[in-house]
Amino acid sequence: MTHFGAKPNARAGSKTNARAKAKTRTHTEADTRTPAETHHHTEADTRTPAQTHHRTGTVRTPASLRLARSSLRAHRRRFLGTFAAVLLGVAFLTGTLVMGDTLRASFDSMFTGATRGTDAVVRSAVTVTAAGEAQGTRGPVDAALAERLAHLPGVAAAAPRIEGAGQLLAADGTPVGGKGPPTLAGNWIEDPALNPYRLAEGRAPNASGEVVVNRGAAKAAGLALGDATVLRTPDPVRVTVVGLATFGGADGMGQVTWAGLTRADAERYLTASPGEATAISVRAGPGVSQEELVAALGPALPDGVEAITGQRAAEENTEMVSGRFLGLFTTFLLVFSGVAVLVSVFTIHNTFAVLVAQRTRENALLRAIGAARRQVVTGTLAEALTVGLLASLSGLLVGIGVAAGLQALFPAIGFPFPEGDLVVTGTSLALPLGVGLAVCAGSALLPAVRAGRTAPLAALRETQVDVSGTSRTRATAGGAMLAVAVGTVFAGVLGTPSLWLAATGAALAVAAFVVLGPVAASVAVRVLARPLRGANRGLARRNALRSPGRTAATATALMVGVAVVTLFTVFGASLKATMDRTVDRSFAGDVAIAGASFGAGGAGLSPRLAPAVAALPEVETAVGLGRGVAEVNGRGRALTVTDPAALARTLDLGEVRGSLTGLGADGLAVAADEAASAGLAPGRTAELTFTDGTRHTFTVRAVYARADLAGDYLVTREAWAPHRTQDADSLVAVSFADGVEAGQGKAAVTEVAERYGRPEVQTREEYAASSAGGIDMMLTLVYALLALAVLIALLGIANTLTLSVHERTRELGLLRAVGQTRAQLRAVVRWESVLVAAFGTAGGLLLGGFLGWVLVRASEGSGDSALAFAVPAVQLATVALVGLVAGAVASWRPARRAARLEILRAIATE
Amino acid sequence: MTTTGTRPRAALPAAVRVVDAVKVYGRDDTEVRALDGVSVDFPVGRFTAVMGPSGSGKSTLMHCAAGLDTLSSGAALLGDTDLSTLDDRRLTLLRRDRIGFVFQAFNLLPTLTVAENITLPLDLAGRTVDRARFDRLVDTVGLRDRLHHRPSELSGGQQQRVAVARAFAGEPDVVFADEPTGNLDSRSGEEVLSLLGRTVRETGRTVVMVTHDPVAAAHADEVIFLADGRLVDRMPDPTADRVLDRMKAFDSRAPVTTGGATP
Repeated sequence: MTHFGAKPNARAGSKTNARAKAKTRTHTEADTRTPAETHHHTEADTRTPAQTHHRTGTVRTPASLRLARSSLRAHRRRFLGTFAAVLLGVAFLTGTLVMGDTLRASFDSMFTGATRGTDAVVRSAVTVTAAGEAQGTRGPVDAALAERLAHLPGVAAAAPRIEGAGQLLAADGTPVGGKGPPTLAGNWIEDPALNPYRLAEGRAPNASGEVVVNRGAAKAAGLALGDATVLRTPDPVRVTVVGLATFGGADGMGQVTWAGLTRADAERYLTASPGEATAISVRAGPGVSQEELVAALGPALPDGVEAITGQRAAEENTEMVSGRFLGLFTTFLLVFSGVAVLVSVFTIHNTFAVLVAQRTRENALLRAIGAARRQVVTGTLAEALTVGLLASLSGLLVGIGVAAGLQALFPAIGFPFPEGDLVVTGTSLALPLGVGLAVCAGSALLPAVRAGRTAPLAALRETQVDVSGTSRTRATAGGAMLAVAVGTVFAGVLGTPSLWLAATGAALAVAAFVVLGPVAASVAVRVLARPLRGANRGLARRNALRSPGRTAATATALMVGVAVVTLFTVFGASLKATMDRTVDRSFAGDVAIAGASFGAGGAGLSPRLAPAVAALPEVETAVGLGRGVAEVNGRGRALTVTDPAALARTLDLGEVRGSLTGLGADGLAVAADEAASAGLAPGRTAELTFTDGTRHTFTVRAVYARADLAGDYLVTREAWAPHRTQDADSLVAVSFADGVEAGQGKAAVTEVAERYGRPEVQTREEYAASSAGGIDMMLTLVYALLALAVLIALLGIANTLTLSVHERTRELGLLRAVGQTRAQLRAVVRWESVLVAAFGTAGGLLLGGFLGWVLVRASEGSGDSALAFAVPAVQLATVALVGLVAGAVASWRPARRAARLEILRAIATE
Repeated sequence: MTTTGTRPRAALPAAVRVVDAVKVYGRDDTEVRALDGVSVDFPVGRFTAVMGPSGSGKSTLMHCAAGLDTLSSGAALLGDTDLSTLDDRRLTLLRRDRIGFVFQAFNLLPTLTVAENITLPLDLAGRTVDRARFDRLVDTVGLRDRLHHRPSELSGGQQQRVAVARAFAGEPDVVFADEPTGNLDSRSGEEVLSLLGRTVRETGRTVVMVTHDPVAAAHADEVIFLADGRLVDRMPDPTADRVLDRMKAFDSRAPVTTGGATP
């Protein structure tokens, strides 16, 4: 492991060499007498008997495996980083899979349990699914049908089920939920077999204004039996809690809130007209199977109404939760465990590459004394697989532990995790184990092959000069890849955006960055180190530069992590900028009253709010935007139900062809882009099919340019009324009268809103910010998930540094001998780490920024509706700072190890 | 044999002094006394060689006197400073500011240029380099045209000359050389040794050199001989032949005197 000085020796001839060796032996012998015996000697001593044993034993281990084992035993600490990287990746993966399976199984049993008594469900056969919606809107059925069905042979009971949106206000007046999971209300079904909810406390509602609330919602709201509160349906209804209910044995269906009213109240507040029901739940008589029941119901059903078995209904519910929500959730987590695994590939590869380089002489010696190339390769791979196996097994345990911990933790933080055992399937064990082993073996493959190629003569040669960074082939290949990548991306982004081309280009760009790393490393480190002054920082810079290949490989893991963080940061900021721009451009009003952000949960706004606000003297125009759905010429589309003429005064709809006034009951206004793709123009007609199964011909009376806030289709309330479901507006846009001061106007509007369930009144800026609120929440989650990948990357840096420190033992000893203090030595290691981290961070910012730009550009929409590209300087500066600080943190252990070095041993070690 | 203090040369002030130095490694059965009560002065402005068979304790003596290792008992003094009173940090600063080193091999940092290697102790101390003295030093060691090369581009002899320049760059009280020619052919070794001797004479520096090569020892003003951790002899104005004869005397007695020292 002599680094210099010996090269000329080789020239000087074997005689001096032999003399030098004899000298060294003297030193080594002296060394064994030191009280602090060297690690290696101890290992060697303990190892010998064991090996002898194996040789004489009946079972003979292949030589390569024996080598792998002894190397692992001797260098346990060097594999710490690899071990940790695999463990974390595998644990993440296992945790995700086990959590997903457990949640799915729990929801399964919850739905099955809750709807056990329901043998058949009768419902409208008509659903309309608007483009981009996960779930269709189903029409209502006639509640009176229940009485008729109850008398059919084979039917024990039938009860209409009414379900709608209903958001409770908490004891302190704030709305409960509404930030994702639905907030529901319905009728309390008297037949306990048909009611998925069970009374846990109190009694069923039997008078108007009485509600049963699911226990989870009551806890979240701070409501107890006997408390009075408000239920937004969205019209505020004063209610008194008379009972608490459970769902399938849990406090609720996830975080869904539910309020059960009397049937009369439910019909009054949750349906468009009395006598309607969402569906009818049917219980079979004794000895009648679910299939027989469905068959018996069939002839009694009017047109457009269908019956399905209770089991099928439960499956649909489970499918809705598992397939949509859980599927998305699991995929999301899997993507991030994928990132973590990718980062650990780089980390592990680098560790083995460094180890093999350090072991050149050892491997050469093996080759010289007759080890076959394959034995050396196998030995290295066996090492990798052993580490991989141990780490993966530990990772499995940790992953399962984390899942179990979360299962226990969720209920404690108010998220009702369905009861049930932890589900550990074969897949959730085999997949992470396989990934862990594959990652280890795959990462070590190249280094192992390189180890096998070691020439026997390398034992006598000095460590080769590292040329990885200066390879012309590498620079050319990397440069060409980058050029092709950029070209492909531009082709995919400019003109008609092609996500496929852009993605290919982006993937190529990532590969090009990895290939170009070593070439860029020396230049980049020089530039990054420019502000550093002083002897120690100079040394750190030289150390980071001495093997650009290693520096680059070390930094690559961090680069990938930072790139993904940057990608999401840039994309998130661009989305926000887009929303800002949208509000800025399209919202011409002064204040907005918005329902829940992101359109999920909540009960929306009372349709009576807009007229009440409009009646204020301070207000010139107040217009509500409701939501409807219909098939337009056979394609499911969302409709905006509003007063189009008034809307044009508070929203900027851009250029309008035709007239928005007087759309009447059979008129439509269509956004320009949609009109172009649907072949609609003023004067043309379109066939609209509603959820009640009726069809009507509408005439396009206007085409407007901007769909940002208005949506693609505008219809009047008059046109929507016959087909409406539960009435609600999602936005009320308000313009003040001339001369009304902003604060005064807002106060007046807020006062009115107070009477309609206290929705929040927002200024333009607040409205834009709240629209973007979900993005921040999402980004926080993404950052938390990416923290693991960054942690693995840091482990990689720390591990490589430890290996480098080990490799430089003699140099460090020399430095200490000629007067470098421990603190200075630590500083050198720290600065080297920071430089490597800075290189990785800079590369990651560059790559992530580029990928973010590609993603924004390649996203759907063009012209006016295209996403705005934004570079969030503050956030990215934070990312950079975190990268640098993390680099300093990563150096903690290697620096300490380096500083603890005993000088005498360092300078005596051959 | 340990009555060095009564010798006439003690009249010269000592740059480095070792008093009743004992260094024990291991304990009980495995106990080895590498130094067994050595007292010796290394006078200012002189070039002293320390010789002895393998395991005689000569390297240990040097390491303890240079603050690289600590004594089990006795004292090592640099001027008036008792090294045993210093903690690791102060020992380090002492080595940086008052001691120069030339090792057998691996004297230079491969990442630094020749010039940077020479000024390394000064740079670590944050001291400014006196240009004139630096130039003088570079000329003395004859490396003017190699200043911006890396160590790997130099021959072994050139590397050791850089090490010598580095050792003297900070104007230390004493320079310790541990087998400085051990890895060199005889011609390069000769260059390095005469460089050491010349520097002592021209600048009045103190040099202590551990060697087992009689030819190398002959460059010194005086040779002291160690065996079994004890000071056994001194030889002023040595020649290679006389040193060799003295060493042969050890060899003939080797089975007796070194038996216990080599594990």
